[in-house]
Amino acid sequence: MPDLSIQTAGESMPKDQPHYQLTLGHLYPDQLNLYGDRGNILVLCERCRWRGIDLQVRQLGVGDVLAPDEYDLLFIGGGQDKEQAPVAQDLCEIKAPGLWAAIEDDMPVLAVCGGYQLLSHYYRPAVGPDMKGLGVFDAWTIHKGLRVARCIGNIAIEWQGQTLVGFENHGGRTYLGTCQPLGTVLAGHGNNSEDHTEGAVYRSTFGTYLHGSLLPKNPHFADHLLLLALRRKYGTEVTLPPLDDTLEWRAHDTMLRRLRVNSRRQNNQQTAQQANR
Amino acid sequence: MPGSKGNGGSARAAAAVSLGRLSGVLSRRLHMGGGTSLPGTVARRIDPTIVSRLSLQLARGSIVVTATNGKTTTCGLIAAILRQAGLRVWRNREGSNLINGIAAALIIRANLNGRLRRGENTIAIFEVDEAAFPAVVRELQPRAILINNLFRDQLDRYGEVETVAMRWRETLSEVAPETTLILNADDPSIAALSASFRGKTLFYGVNDARQAIEATGKASEQGQTIDARACPHCGADLEYSLRFYSHIGHYACSSCGQHRPEPALSATAVTREQFDRQRITISGPDGSGEALIALPGFYNVYNALAAATVTSGLGIDFRAVLAGLERFRPAFGRGETIEAEGRTLRLMLAKNPTGFTEVLRTLFTESSTRHLLLALNDNAADGYDISWIWDVDFEQLAGKDLALTISGTRADDLAVRLKYAGVSGTVEEHLPTAIFQAINDTPQGETLYIVPTYTAMLAVRGELERHSYTTPYWEGKDA
Repeated sequence: MPDLSIQTAGESMPKDQPHYQLTLGHLYPDQLNLYGDRGNILVLCERCRWRGIDLQVRQLGVGDVLAPDEYDLLFIGGGQDKEQAPVAQDLCEIKAPGLWAAIEDDMPVLAVCGGYQLLSHYYRPAVGPDMKGLGVFDAWTIHKGLRVARCIGNIAIEWQGQTLVGFENHGGRTYLGTCQPLGTVLAGHGNNSEDHTEGAVYRSTFGTYLHGSLLPKNPHFADHLLLLALRRKYGTEVTLPPLDDTLEWRAHDTMLRRLRVNSRRQNNQQTAQQANR
Repeated sequence: MPGSKGNGGSARAAAAVSLGRLSGVLSRRLHMGGGTSLPGTVARRIDPTIVSRLSLQLARGSIVVTATNGKTTTCGLIAAILRQAGLRVWRNREGSNLINGIAAALIIRANLNGRLRRGENTIAIFEVDEAAFPAVVRELQPRAILINNLFRDQLDRYGEVETVAMRWRETLSEVAPETTLILNADDPSIAALSASFRGKTLFYGVNDARQAIEATGKASEQGQTIDARACPHCGADLEYSLRFYSHIGHYACSSCGQHRPEPALSATAVTREQFDRQRITISGPDGSGEALIALPGFYNVYNALAAATVTSGLGIDFRAVLAGLERFRPAFGRGETIEAEGRTLRLMLAKNPTGFTEVLRTLFTESSTRHLLLALNDNAADGYDISWIWDVDFEQLAGKDLALTISGTRADDLAVRLKYAGVSGTVEEHLPTAIFQAINDTPQGETLYIVPTYTAMLAVRGELERHSYTTPYWEGKDA
């Protein structure tokens, strides 16, 4: 029976570690908060706190200008269709200059589900006109009508020789042009349930359909985002002190077993070590 | 439809009832499980009009109850009041709240000639699933419709909250104006439904400012995941002068001026006397009076008010309403207590973020030690997507005096969620093992609180039945 010990702030932090400070911009928290998106933010906050890293979360709502110099990390969640249209307009008009600058300057951005679709060229609904996206990813999404089953269920993908697990629930099918997928589907639907791709990557911007929430059960991916942010700000020497992720990996591995996907945990751990070297 | 009148139609109805009931008998004889809606499925296949045909014969008509949370308890409260008033009450079975379950409830009360058993004082109360509401209401044409609340729940099954509200609006716009609609004034997305209905609407709400968790502020500024923050009429931000929980409270639109309607019946004072004894003062056109209800949690005040309003609206005497509320005892898994091994087990079903958060708030209002078993399943009836646990306010448990067991098919996910809330416990995925472990860890004479999702609740109860601590639901009184 595992004992769930709680790490306290700075427990595993070496005394001589410099004081790191990060600011996370949470885009459209009022409109895009559907699939436990709060979990992703919470995990980033706590994993920083346990390491003595100061992470501030600032909300960026409709109408707020995004000043790229004020942020180190951005998050966009998923929302109801009704709420997505005003968001798309704000994204392409108000946020666009700052967001493009941040993305081209390699700021890590995580966009889940609706947020992922909004960063692609367009979303073509079952009925009605196309909804224009920012076009960061060379990708587009088509909803093939209400009679076509949604892509719903648990999902596992291979990401850089490791696994990511989550839950997907999307009516639209996403197709990639020249941009790279985030990973390859091991079980589940992914972008379109046809070509085995899942998500999209451009520079340090990641789009994915995985929620559940994504980051709690994929601590290596959470730390990857934090490390990208820290190295961008403080230089490539930065390493992340390891945490006790026993519970996180149990949840991850339980889902892999359920989906009958072989664990790539050795890879996962090796990558974590390499990242810290 | 040709043949739907006269001999052809009644012969078809008779066949539908006979074969429907036969399928139910066979299913039980062959131990195919509690297939409570099978007779309805079979009968509707034979006669698609069977529900409207039989429901027209109900002497006192029917009441349809829907909501995200509290459907079963509200129906129980309504039944207690109507029985108090001397009526005979028929209900659909626990968990059989789709159209075929409603059909089954009628068919088991019909004769083999396709006619409903006669009962001059009979009224039917149907608990209806949110998504099944349109089909059920169309076939039943009920005498009263009660809609209590709308929260985010099982997005993989129901779709988005706005989709559910849209279907309800469409359905209500087609309901005959003779029906009475009863709505929660304090839930903005529910109160707004009255605009889609041509007949009479009765509202209910809480008018006790002491129950508010925060005095003022815009819903969207409070950093919580709230389901209805935008005005249902114009989309602007709602401003709350009182907020009781989630998006439930006294609100007004900052832009178009839409505001909470004045309730016909209101709770003017709520006093908690014990964990599961709340005294409510209810005021309405027939005066005001008190009822002591045997339910924990502020959310149950709304269930009681809803039951009082629908029954008052049907002309039940106010004294019978209050007496009926007091007579009620908690339903299956929703605050019921079971004695086992010298401990008291209290089952409190929680199946979505708001429900779970409010159950926890109810448990931890007092500072005494709590022995707690949380069980998270991800079967079809629970919803396959468990990401909603990240929207539950587990943070309120941090630092509490707590002995916690974590179980269910997604125990590992729940353990991670609790870790990030600063809460630790023992993980035992296998529920039957977890129950007895948690009972053993609870001292004699103390209470073990069990908070399960829907199928986890059935599993917990099944296990307790197997050990004869309680009776199976099949043999329960509400057959």
